[in-house]
Amino acid sequence: MTLSGSSVNRPTSENLVPIRLDIEVDGQRFKDAFTWNPSDPDSEVISFAKRTVKDLKLPPIFVTHIAQSIQSQLAEFRSLEGQEMYSTEKIMILKLDLRVNNTIIRDQFLWDLSNFNSDPEEFARTFCTDLDISDPEVGPAIAVSIREQLYEMAIQNVASAREIRMVKKGRRGLEHLSSSKGGNNSLDLAKSFGSKASVLRKRKEWHLYGPIVDTLTNEEVDAVEAKEDRNLL
Amino acid sequence: ESENPAFRKIDSGHSIDINITKVRGRLSDLDRKASIIHPITLLPPSQGGGCSLNRCLWRAAIESEPGRGAETEASTGMSDQKTPEGVPPDRELYTIPSRSSWFQWDEIHEIERAELGDFFDVTSFSRNPRVYKEYRDFIINRYREDPSRRLTFTEVRRSLIGDVGALRRVFLFLDRWGLINFSAAEPSRAHAAGSDDGVFRVVVEDSPPSSVRILPFPHAGRGLLSPTGSKGAEEGGSFKLPPLTSYSDVFGSPTPLAGRLCGDCGEVCVSGFYESKSAIAICTNCFKKENYCVGNSADDFKYNDKKCLDDGKHVTGEWTGTETLSLLEAIVSKGPDWDLISNHVRRNKLECIAKLIQLPFGEHMLGSVTGKCDQRNLVGQRAEEIQQPTSDVIKEFVKPEMQDHENATEEDHTAEESKTEPALKRRCISLSDTSNSLMEKVASLSALAGPHVAAAAAEAAISALYNEHPYAKKVFMIDTNETNDTYFSFAPQNKSASDLKTGDGETEEAFGIAECTTGKNFGHLSFQIRAATGTTFGATAAHAKLLANQEDRHIDYLMASIINAQLRKIQCKMKHFEVLESIMEQQYTQIQQLKEDILQQWVDISQRALAAGIPRWKDPSFHKPLPSVKEAKSEQPFRVLSSSASLSSCGEKDLRKSREEAQ
Repeated sequence: MTLSGSSVNRPTSENLVPIRLDIEVDGQRFKDAFTWNPSDPDSEVISFAKRTVKDLKLPPIFVTHIAQSIQSQLAEFRSLEGQEMYSTEKIMILKLDLRVNNTIIRDQFLWDLSNFNSDPEEFARTFCTDLDISDPEVGPAIAVSIREQLYEMAIQNVASAREIRMVKKGRRGLEHLSSSKGGNNSLDLAKSFGSKASVLRKRKEWHLYGPIVDTLTNEEVDAVEAKEDRNLL
Repeated sequence: ESENPAFRKIDSGHSIDINITKVRGRLSDLDRKASIIHPITLLPPSQGGGCSLNRCLWRAAIESEPGRGAETEASTGMSDQKTPEGVPPDRELYTIPSRSSWFQWDEIHEIERAELGDFFDVTSFSRNPRVYKEYRDFIINRYREDPSRRLTFTEVRRSLIGDVGALRRVFLFLDRWGLINFSAAEPSRAHAAGSDDGVFRVVVEDSPPSSVRILPFPHAGRGLLSPTGSKGAEEGGSFKLPPLTSYSDVFGSPTPLAGRLCGDCGEVCVSGFYESKSAIAICTNCFKKENYCVGNSADDFKYNDKKCLDDGKHVTGEWTGTETLSLLEAIVSKGPDWDLISNHVRRNKLECIAKLIQLPFGEHMLGSVTGKCDQRNLVGQRAEEIQQPTSDVIKEFVKPEMQDHENATEEDHTAEESKTEPALKRRCISLSDTSNSLMEKVASLSALAGPHVAAAAAEAAISALYNEHPYAKKVFMIDTNETNDTYFSFAPQNKSASDLKTGDGETEEAFGIAECTTGKNFGHLSFQIRAATGTTFGATAAHAKLLANQEDRHIDYLMASIINAQLRKIQCKMKHFEVLESIMEQQYTQIQQLKEDILQQWVDISQRALAAGIPRWKDPSFHKPLPSVKEAKSEQPFRVLSSSASLSSCGEKDLRKSREEAQ
């Protein structure tokens, strides 16, 4: 199973790359996050960058920066193509902790990385509908966040798979296998789904796995943003 | 019987009024066990199983087997409350659609296996039938805790361990088959719209009630009835009025006169014209330039070689094209002096004036119309030129004509009253399609704003005109003779109109424009037109005010709802804090209690140890004062404790030992 563009072997039902932009030029900062279809021709990147700059009235220097950033992220993604993906089941805990305009979302839930029919966008849509979120920017932000986490895990998986191969070659012990597989985020399947366990979560844990959505006033948003900037500087 | 704890719940002497919601979640188990243990008690209460336990079981059985819903509510899919005999009325029925009647609590049906296949193959560790059943049962029970509210996926996924993708599929499956959310309220329209549009919910703004009405390009409207009945046209500059006559009326189609006006450029067709099937005529120039009216092509036009008739002077009768041409030229060049014009055209003055009015752009000539005139469909260059004379000028030269209208030959004269609703209905009396004109706009506007508004606006307009020009009084003289009602309720018949008319010698309250025949006093007309437009202004202003008020109210309402929402949010937060506080206090008291208990135990044990005379505890090196102890009790225990060395510093082993020994 590869990361190629064929419909059977995609890690999610649509093969989209999460792109995150954070460009600062001459004191002007442009932050954005969205998903990109890697099968789009590269000329799209340039036109997208131009359009963005035009719509947001940014100085033209941003066009090159944006295009470069997108292209490098795409290249990174493509370098992973052809790698082996998950053959066994792997359920990981995904966390959401993001702020979109005036809305703060905190959530965690389980995601099966081997489920190639999963759809972060649909999850995001359901999320917004169920929680009655009116800001249309929240959904895509959630989808991007999910994809980023999946992407991270994919990278880790690829790296560990490489390591395993090396290990096999080197004929070293199997300890490496267990230690490199999965971080502390993955669910112990035997424990959770074994014959004795119930898949009903304990009530006291419900609040952990349910979403927390909060709306900030504009002043609070400004305060949070100022704090973020200070942290980054 | 008493071994089953769930059973005990019901059996412990609770009455029927127990809140069965709490037990519902376990009912599937209960049901099974109950049927094993009490196979015979599952009779309907009416058949002798009258004990309270049995009634509860019966109810539980019914509730857990919705597909078998004895009273067929489920199968009809209607949430009717037809309770079976003997069942207490406070029980609830869960309705599911009849297509889902295969559903059983105890089993997994083929349909489920087929649709959610990956739970039933052995490929996955986390997806197996047992897990599936737990998910399914939990979700359905959760929904049934409150069937009227719509269960959302987010609510269930936090309570279930497993891949959210798989959970979502189970959820959607149940939702599709109506096993959940069947009796729930429909999602709000906004949600529905949102889900259709994906993540980007499109916010639809209400279109402004009086939208701009765009007429087809003016030239295309020639010879055709333009679209009628606009709901409300924006005042002033947005609509283009179609021509007020059609050539057929002016020139008469059965006898194709020379001098047809081109449908495109408005010029007189001097050198023959092309006629299309839809009776649009365009001159040769336009044809050459391919200025067909919209929707026609070259093929549609047949060449009609009716050249203009000769230039011979016609004393009476129809105007030839040349004459019309010269009339127009004269008007343009010689200004509003009718003597000169009539000389030029060699026709009677009155005839000239009448002819002018008949022409499609006659209105422009009079120039008496307000701004609307400018946006009107202009007949090429000529019309623009002709527009020059202002209303004042016309009034001036019309004044001397005042005497003339005494002699005016009154012909059958269509009363085009169209200011109120009754008029709307009898729109088209005239031979022409003048109904598509200003009057109809006024009619529809006044219909929109209501007759009283229109009446008031008309009055205001007319009184303004009064003040402006004394002549207007004459025009509207009829006002004084009639009541307001008759002023606005127009005699439906032409006859009665003409009766009134002949009575005065004045034209009546008539706003007909194009069909005003010879002798019509167009100064008269100008005032009427001004009155009409004033009315429309008034009517639209009234309507606009209404809309503004509506908007204000809407804004207020929205503000109120925002404030409410904020208040509710704050209240929720406060409640949350209160809950936290109470929990904290509870825990605090518990801890206090615990402390006391422990202290008491210490005291007891050390006392017993002392009584047993264990020397070890007198080890002075372990002497550590207990700070909490100092606050409590009397002196005696203090001494005991301090001398027996602090328990806390002993190992646990010691403590246990001492307890054993003490016992």
